Amino acid sequence: MLIPHPLLGLRDAQEFTYLGDAALLDRPDGLAADAEASFADYVYLRNNPAGVHRELWFHEHGDRSWLIVKRNTVTHEILGAELARDVALASRGEAQ
Amino acid sequence: MTDLIPISALGSREPAKLQHGVLTIAENPDLGLASLALRRGDCAPDLGVKLPGPGGWVSGEGIGAFWIGPDQWMIEGQGRASADFLHQVSRLAPGCSVTEQTDAFVDFEITSQEGGAPVRALMEKLVNIDTAAFGPGRATRTRLEHMSVFIIRRAEDRLAVMGMRSLAGSLWHALQTAARRLNHE
Repeated sequence: MLIPHPLLGLRDAQEFTYLGDAALLDRPDGLAADAEASFADYVYLRNNPAGVHRELWFHEHGDRSWLIVKRNTVTHEILGAELARDVALASRGEAQ
Repeated sequence: MTDLIPISALGSREPAKLQHGVLTIAENPDLGLASLALRRGDCAPDLGVKLPGPGGWVSGEGIGAFWIGPDQWMIEGQGRASADFLHQVSRLAPGCSVTEQTDAFVDFEITSQEGGAPVRALMEKLVNIDTAAFGPGRATRTRLEHMSVFIIRRAEDRLAVMGMRSLAGSLWHALQTAARRLNHE
Protein backbone atom coordinates (compact mmCIF):
# COMPACT_ATOMS: atom_id res chain seq x y z
CA MET A 1 0.00 0.00 0.00
CA LEU A 2 1.39 3.41 -0.96
CA ILE A 3 0.44 6.74 0.62
CA PRO A 4 0.76 9.88 -1.54
CA HIS A 5 2.64 12.13 0.87
CA PRO A 6 1.94 15.76 -0.10
CA LEU A 7 5.63 16.70 0.23
CA LEU A 8 7.51 13.48 -0.51
CA GLY A 9 5.37 11.66 -3.07
CA LEU A 10 4.37 8.00 -2.93
CA ARG A 11 5.68 6.31 0.21
CA ASP A 12 5.40 2.79 1.62
CA ALA A 13 2.53 2.59 4.14
CA GLN A 14 4.86 0.65 6.48
CA GLU A 15 6.73 3.90 7.15
CA PHE A 16 3.56 5.23 8.79
CA THR A 17 1.72 4.61 12.05
CA TYR A 18 -2.06 4.74 12.08
CA LEU A 19 -3.94 6.70 14.72
CA GLY A 20 -7.61 6.83 13.71
CA ASP A 21 -10.49 9.10 12.79
CA ALA A 22 -9.39 12.61 11.75
CA ALA A 23 -12.16 13.98 14.00
CA LEU A 24 -9.54 13.71 16.78
CA LEU A 25 -8.13 17.01 15.49
CA ASP A 26 -11.14 18.82 16.96
CA ARG A 27 -10.38 18.52 20.64
CA PRO A 28 -13.17 19.87 22.87
CA ASP A 29 -12.63 22.79 25.23
CA GLY A 30 -11.51 21.33 28.56
CA LEU A 31 -12.79 24.36 30.49
CA ALA A 32 -16.33 24.41 29.07
CA ALA A 33 -19.26 23.53 31.35
CA ASP A 34 -20.04 20.31 29.43
CA ALA A 35 -16.36 19.26 29.22
CA GLU A 36 -16.91 15.89 30.88
CA ALA A 37 -19.61 14.80 28.43
CA SER A 38 -17.84 16.17 25.38
CA PHE A 39 -14.56 14.47 26.35
CA ALA A 40 -16.39 11.16 26.88
CA ASP A 41 -17.66 11.48 23.31
CA TYR A 42 -14.25 12.62 22.04
CA VAL A 43 -12.39 9.70 23.63
CA TYR A 44 -14.87 6.85 23.17
CA LEU A 45 -17.25 7.58 20.30
CA ARG A 46 -16.17 7.11 16.70
CA ASN A 47 -18.00 6.75 13.44
CA ASN A 48 -17.17 3.46 11.80
CA PRO A 49 -18.09 4.00 8.16
CA ALA A 50 -18.00 1.29 5.51
CA GLY A 51 -16.62 3.48 2.73
CA VAL A 52 -14.63 6.69 2.59
CA HIS A 53 -12.95 7.55 5.89
CA ARG A 54 -10.67 10.46 6.84
CA GLU A 55 -7.99 9.30 9.23
CA LEU A 56 -4.77 10.41 10.90
CA TRP A 57 -1.48 8.77 9.91
CA PHE A 58 1.94 9.62 11.35
CA HIS A 59 4.99 9.44 9.07
CA GLU A 60 7.16 7.90 11.76
CA HIS A 61 9.97 6.55 9.55
CA GLY A 62 9.89 9.69 7.44
CA ASP A 63 9.49 13.39 8.02
CA ARG A 64 7.47 12.92 11.24
CA SER A 65 4.49 14.82 9.90
CA TRP A 66 0.87 13.97 10.63
CA LEU A 67 -1.26 13.38 7.55
CA ILE A 68 -4.97 13.18 7.00
CA VAL A 69 -5.43 10.27 4.61
CA LYS A 70 -8.71 9.62 2.82
CA ARG A 71 -9.16 5.84 2.59
CA ASN A 72 -11.98 3.61 1.49
CA THR A 73 -12.38 1.15 4.37
CA VAL A 74 -14.08 -1.40 2.09
CA THR A 75 -11.54 -1.51 -0.74
CA HIS A 76 -8.50 -0.04 1.12
CA GLU A 77 -8.10 2.37 -1.78
CA ILE A 78 -6.19 5.51 -0.75
CA LEU A 79 -7.95 8.53 -2.22
CA GLY A 80 -5.60 11.30 -1.14
CA ALA A 81 -3.53 12.77 1.66
CA GLU A 82 -2.92 16.23 3.06
CA LEU A 83 -0.85 17.64 5.92
CA ALA A 84 -2.90 17.62 9.13
CA ARG A 85 -1.18 20.88 10.08
CA ASP A 86 -2.61 22.63 7.00
CA VAL A 87 -6.09 21.25 7.68
CA ALA A 88 -6.03 22.25 11.35
CA LEU A 89 -4.75 25.77 10.63
CA ALA A 90 -7.27 26.25 7.82
CA SER A 91 -10.16 25.15 10.04
CA ARG A 92 -9.10 27.74 12.63
CA GLY A 93 -8.81 30.37 9.93
CA GLU A 94 -5.07 30.90 10.51
CA ALA A 95 -2.45 31.42 7.84
CA GLN A 96 -0.48 28.29 6.94
CA MET B 1 43.06 10.82 36.23
CA THR B 2 41.13 8.19 34.30
CA ASP B 3 42.48 7.68 30.84
CA LEU B 4 39.41 7.53 28.62
CA ILE B 5 39.76 5.83 25.26
CA PRO B 6 37.35 6.98 22.55
CA ILE B 7 35.73 4.10 20.64
CA SER B 8 33.71 4.09 17.46
CA ALA B 9 29.98 3.36 17.29
CA LEU B 10 30.79 -0.30 16.59
CA GLY B 11 32.94 -0.49 19.71
CA SER B 12 36.44 -0.58 18.23
CA ARG B 13 39.34 1.84 18.25
CA GLU B 14 39.44 2.22 14.48
CA PRO B 15 36.37 2.98 12.33
CA ALA B 16 35.08 -0.09 10.49
CA LYS B 17 35.66 -0.52 6.76
CA LEU B 18 34.73 -3.37 4.46
CA GLN B 19 34.86 -4.15 0.79
CA HIS B 20 32.56 -6.54 -1.04
CA GLY B 21 33.14 -6.60 -4.78
CA VAL B 22 32.88 -3.05 -6.10
CA LEU B 23 31.18 -1.70 -2.97
CA THR B 24 33.06 -0.25 -0.01
CA ILE B 25 31.23 0.41 3.27
CA ALA B 26 33.05 2.68 5.69
CA GLU B 27 32.06 4.00 9.08
CA ASN B 28 32.54 7.77 9.18
CA PRO B 29 33.18 8.80 12.80
CA ASP B 30 34.15 12.37 11.91
CA LEU B 31 30.77 13.73 10.85
CA GLY B 32 29.43 16.51 13.06
CA LEU B 33 25.63 16.69 13.10
CA ALA B 34 23.15 19.21 14.43
CA SER B 35 19.45 19.53 13.71
CA LEU B 36 17.99 22.91 12.95
CA ALA B 37 14.34 23.90 13.27
CA LEU B 38 12.78 27.23 12.43
CA ARG B 39 10.36 28.88 14.82
CA ARG B 40 6.96 29.48 13.25
CA GLY B 41 7.05 32.24 10.63
CA ASP B 42 10.86 32.63 10.73
CA CYS B 43 13.06 32.79 7.64
CA ALA B 44 15.80 30.26 6.96
CA PRO B 45 19.25 31.37 8.23
CA ASP B 46 22.30 31.74 5.98
CA LEU B 47 24.66 28.86 6.77
CA GLY B 48 26.69 29.13 3.60
CA VAL B 49 24.46 26.64 1.79
CA LYS B 50 20.90 27.15 0.62
CA LEU B 51 18.72 24.94 2.84
CA PRO B 52 17.03 22.41 0.52
CA GLY B 53 13.35 21.69 0.04
CA PRO B 54 11.58 18.37 0.83
CA GLY B 55 13.73 15.33 0.06
CA GLY B 56 16.82 17.38 -0.77
CA TRP B 57 20.49 17.42 0.28
CA VAL B 58 23.05 20.12 -0.46
CA SER B 59 26.72 20.49 0.40
CA GLY B 60 29.02 23.46 0.37
CA GLU B 61 32.32 24.53 1.92
CA GLY B 62 32.71 22.06 4.81
CA ILE B 63 29.00 22.11 5.51
CA GLY B 64 26.03 20.12 4.26
CA ALA B 65 22.32 20.09 4.97
CA PHE B 66 19.39 17.81 4.28
CA TRP B 67 15.69 18.25 4.79
CA ILE B 68 14.21 16.16 7.60
CA GLY B 69 10.75 17.69 8.00
CA PRO B 70 8.78 20.89 7.37
CA ASP B 71 11.06 23.77 8.45
CA GLN B 72 13.61 21.28 9.81
CA TRP B 73 17.04 20.28 8.53
CA MET B 74 20.00 18.21 9.64
CA ILE B 75 23.26 20.14 9.28
CA GLU B 76 26.42 18.16 8.57
CA GLY B 77 30.01 19.18 9.23
CA GLN B 78 32.52 16.77 7.67
CA GLY B 79 35.47 16.26 10.00
CA ARG B 80 33.86 18.29 12.77
CA ALA B 81 32.58 15.54 15.10
CA SER B 82 35.04 16.45 17.84
CA ALA B 83 34.58 20.20 17.45
CA ASP B 84 31.72 21.95 19.23
CA PHE B 85 29.51 21.63 16.16
CA LEU B 86 26.34 22.69 17.97
CA HIS B 87 27.97 25.99 18.92
CA GLN B 88 29.29 26.52 15.38
CA VAL B 89 25.83 26.05 13.86
CA SER B 90 23.87 28.03 16.46
CA ARG B 91 26.21 30.99 15.99
CA LEU B 92 25.18 31.09 12.32
CA ALA B 93 21.50 30.56 13.07
CA PRO B 94 20.43 32.96 15.83
CA GLY B 95 16.80 32.52 16.83
CA CYS B 96 16.57 28.96 15.47
CA SER B 97 16.28 25.80 17.55
CA VAL B 98 19.57 23.94 17.11
CA THR B 99 20.17 20.55 18.75
CA GLU B 100 23.39 18.54 18.94
CA GLN B 101 22.99 15.20 17.08
CA THR B 102 26.59 14.11 16.48
CA ASP B 103 26.69 11.16 18.89
CA ALA B 104 23.05 10.20 18.31
CA PHE B 105 23.76 8.81 14.86
CA VAL B 106 26.23 6.55 13.13
CA ASP B 107 27.15 7.36 9.54
CA PHE B 108 28.10 4.66 7.03
CA GLU B 109 29.41 5.85 3.68
CA ILE B 110 28.99 3.46 0.77
CA THR B 111 31.11 3.94 -2.34
CA SER B 112 30.96 2.08 -5.62
CA GLN B 113 33.90 1.66 -7.96
CA GLU B 114 31.65 1.09 -10.95
CA GLY B 115 29.26 4.05 -11.06
CA GLY B 116 25.67 4.19 -9.87
CA ALA B 117 24.33 0.73 -10.78
CA PRO B 118 25.78 -1.16 -7.74
CA VAL B 119 24.51 1.59 -5.40
CA ARG B 120 21.01 1.31 -6.89
CA ALA B 121 21.12 -2.49 -6.61
CA LEU B 122 22.08 -2.21 -2.94
CA MET B 123 19.28 0.29 -2.26
CA GLU B 124 16.77 -2.01 -3.94
CA LYS B 125 17.74 -4.74 -1.48
CA LEU B 126 17.61 -2.48 1.56
CA VAL B 127 14.93 0.22 1.31
CA ASN B 128 11.52 0.63 -0.29
CA ILE B 129 12.34 3.86 -2.11
CA ASP B 130 11.99 4.63 -5.81
CA THR B 131 15.69 4.31 -6.68
CA ALA B 132 15.27 5.80 -10.16
CA ALA B 133 14.00 9.04 -8.59
CA PHE B 134 16.64 8.98 -5.84
CA GLY B 135 19.51 10.59 -7.71
CA PRO B 136 22.41 12.70 -6.42
CA GLY B 137 21.20 15.44 -4.07
CA ARG B 138 18.26 13.43 -2.70
CA ALA B 139 17.94 12.51 0.98
CA THR B 140 15.17 10.95 2.98
CA ARG B 141 14.35 9.13 6.16
CA THR B 142 12.97 5.64 5.65
CA ARG B 143 12.85 2.15 7.10
CA LEU B 144 15.67 -0.33 6.76
CA GLU B 145 15.07 -3.72 8.40
CA HIS B 146 12.65 -2.07 10.88
CA MET B 147 15.22 0.63 11.73
CA SER B 148 14.69 4.30 11.00
CA VAL B 149 17.55 5.58 8.84
CA PHE B 150 18.46 8.64 6.83
CA ILE B 151 19.78 7.85 3.39
CA ILE B 152 21.59 10.44 1.28
CA ARG B 153 22.64 10.03 -2.33
CA ARG B 154 25.82 12.11 -2.17
CA ALA B 155 26.78 11.31 -5.76
CA GLU B 156 25.85 8.81 -8.45
CA ASP B 157 28.33 6.34 -6.93
CA ARG B 158 27.99 7.33 -3.26
CA LEU B 159 25.29 6.68 -0.68
CA ALA B 160 25.30 7.57 3.02
CA VAL B 161 23.20 5.59 5.49
CA MET B 162 22.74 7.12 8.95
CA GLY B 163 21.05 5.22 11.72
CA MET B 164 20.66 5.54 15.45
CA ARG B 165 24.03 4.97 17.07
CA SER B 166 22.63 2.40 19.50
CA LEU B 167 21.61 0.28 16.49
CA ALA B 168 24.98 0.61 14.75
CA GLY B 169 25.76 -3.11 14.99
CA SER B 170 22.45 -4.21 13.46
CA LEU B 171 22.71 -1.63 10.71
CA TRP B 172 26.28 -2.63 9.92
CA HIS B 173 25.15 -6.27 9.74
CA ALA B 174 22.28 -5.38 7.38
CA LEU B 175 24.53 -3.37 5.04
CA GLN B 176 27.29 -5.94 5.10
CA THR B 177 24.91 -8.85 4.38
CA ALA B 178 23.23 -7.07 1.48
CA ALA B 179 26.58 -6.07 -0.06
CA ARG B 180 27.91 -9.62 0.33
CA ARG B 181 24.86 -11.14 -1.34
CA LEU B 182 25.10 -8.69 -4.25
CA ASN B 183 28.62 -9.96 -4.71
CA HIS B 184 27.31 -13.59 -4.55
CA GLU B 185 29.63 -14.39 -1.64
